[in-house]
Amino acid sequence: MITDIVNLLSNTFLSMTPLLLAAVGEVIAEKSGVVNIGLEGIFLITALTSTVSTFYTGDPILGLIIGVIIGLLSGGLHGFISVYLRGDQIIAGVGFNSFAYGLSILTLIFLWGDYSSSPSIPKITPWSLRIAGTNLVIPQILIIALITAIASWYILEKTGWGLKLRACGEDPRAAEAMGVNVNKTRFYATTIGGGLAGLGGAYLSIGWLGSFTRTISAGRGFIALADVAFANWNPLIAIIGAFIFGFADASGTYLPIMLQKMTGTQFTAETYLFLTIPYLTTLIAVAAIMKKVKMPRALGKPYIKE
Amino acid sequence: MSITSLVDYLKARKTEYITGAMEVTLSAITGFFIAGIILQSMGYNALSIFNIMITGGVSDLSHLAGKSAPLVMTGLAFSIPLMAGVFNIGGESQLYMGALAGLVGTYYSGNILIGLVLGFLAGAFWGWLMAALRVYRGINEVITAIMLNWTAYYFIIYLIIKYLPNPEKPYMSIQLPQSEMLSMNTTFLLSVLGALAAYYIIYYTDLGYKMRVSGFNPKTAQYSGFDPSKSILFSMALGGGLAGFGGALLVIGVSSGIDTTMTSLYGLGFTGIGVGLLGRNHPIGIIFSSLFFADLIIGGQWVELETGAPPYVSDTIIGIIVIALSAPYAYKKLVELYRLRRR
Repeated sequence: MITDIVNLLSNTFLSMTPLLLAAVGEVIAEKSGVVNIGLEGIFLITALTSTVSTFYTGDPILGLIIGVIIGLLSGGLHGFISVYLRGDQIIAGVGFNSFAYGLSILTLIFLWGDYSSSPSIPKITPWSLRIAGTNLVIPQILIIALITAIASWYILEKTGWGLKLRACGEDPRAAEAMGVNVNKTRFYATTIGGGLAGLGGAYLSIGWLGSFTRTISAGRGFIALADVAFANWNPLIAIIGAFIFGFADASGTYLPIMLQKMTGTQFTAETYLFLTIPYLTTLIAVAAIMKKVKMPRALGKPYIKE
Repeated sequence: MSITSLVDYLKARKTEYITGAMEVTLSAITGFFIAGIILQSMGYNALSIFNIMITGGVSDLSHLAGKSAPLVMTGLAFSIPLMAGVFNIGGESQLYMGALAGLVGTYYSGNILIGLVLGFLAGAFWGWLMAALRVYRGINEVITAIMLNWTAYYFIIYLIIKYLPNPEKPYMSIQLPQSEMLSMNTTFLLSVLGALAAYYIIYYTDLGYKMRVSGFNPKTAQYSGFDPSKSILFSMALGGGLAGFGGALLVIGVSSGIDTTMTSLYGLGFTGIGVGLLGRNHPIGIIFSSLFFADLIIGGQWVELETGAPPYVSDTIIGIIVIALSAPYAYKKLVELYRLRRR
């Protein structure tokens, strides 16, 4: 029993890391007034690019850095379209997801001639603690994610920079009157948000799975978005949200294994039923809390100077 | 409407049409251009690939028709709710639900009509559910849609393996006999009729009018005495229903069953977003843009056969086209610049 709990906790830590990184990045972008639903696409494309670079250089740390850079560029592209071209943020995000999906499979086939996954690459081995005869796994990047979340909360809520950034998302006209460059702030906030999602995407392949598969993100980008709403745009609560959603994700794969062992039966079709757990949990959790949250007032609207 | 007044009407909206045509053409060109760069850098000949992509689909017209039918429906499923101000990213699972209901309904009743109606209803319920979570619980419809998309995806795989297995083909569900299927051309015709019905509902009925007003300005709707959330519920039920109808059409007209990896269904809802946008959210435009996208998708498969390049070129191009379509302001600026230059 204790073994199961430790294993479940390990899987939760593994699976909450990318959610937390992307959610914190998205909080920063959305607080400034830009919503980026292309997180899923950023996960895909950065997981791929860091797999490719690690495959050819053998250095996972370099892969991680490449992932962050590609994430920054993707966020910057979205920021440019949303802010300077006054594009529709949702549509641009949807387009980016589809582009990233096509491009990542295209590259997968081009480089390795495989339709579903890349060869294995060297991973960053996570820390493990010996508890009750099994290992409790703690990925180093989770620690980075936690520090990022706390630091972002402090900067957003307690500093002058944070106040200016939040003003751009609440009332851009007032922010402009305060002397804040709304467009520039939004552009940089979206870029940083993309960079954090990029770290999460790189982690998916380098820190966790050790290869790239076409379903590597499996809706995780959107679960991170749900976490933003669940957290009421507060990076600290996003940690709790990421833990809950990560736990649901871990249960979806671990529960059937546990139940099969306990009851001695063999599941076939039922495994698919368990895979719906993370999505339904996310939906129910957000539904339970959503009436009480307050999103940035100017979220999703381009700022047009007069 | 007399001829002269029609001409006046068209003249008055000339700028709008020109900007629209520019948006569509430039986005398509951008899509091909960037994809071309990517393909060239991978060492393929981009021009010959595009040539195969565009001509490949047109070579078999009835296949093209069958492939476009569900896209017309998922295109409408995106565009109709957009008129009421909601983003329907859930066309994907609304189509799944419709495909499942269409398969089960037709298989057990032996009647195609029952299958189509059930397909519509299943999709409509799924779309309504997404709208209800937004209206009554305030959850962003994009999040709801994706969560329900994945839930439906795994749930349907479960149902097929558990309750609808095909004893002869382990990777397939039960299949409809040829006698209970429609020809591809009829399938396309039905999708066109669906688009025309949507056109009528949007522009010539009270419900459609209220929907458009709510989308344009929810406050105006409220002052005029109708509730914008009702329009949201209606538009999502209608859009979802059409996507479901598209799913049923796909099973009854093309695929005869659903495979256990959902390959025959996957992506049609997402492509519908591009179809709706490229068709400028107009039912008639959507018919044409779905033919264009279907051509690209079929052409993509030809590309694989003839050059060995992966078929996913079409997904990439469609993605770039959608990104390019997201910023109409950029095109407006271009038109203005062009005008200034001419003066």
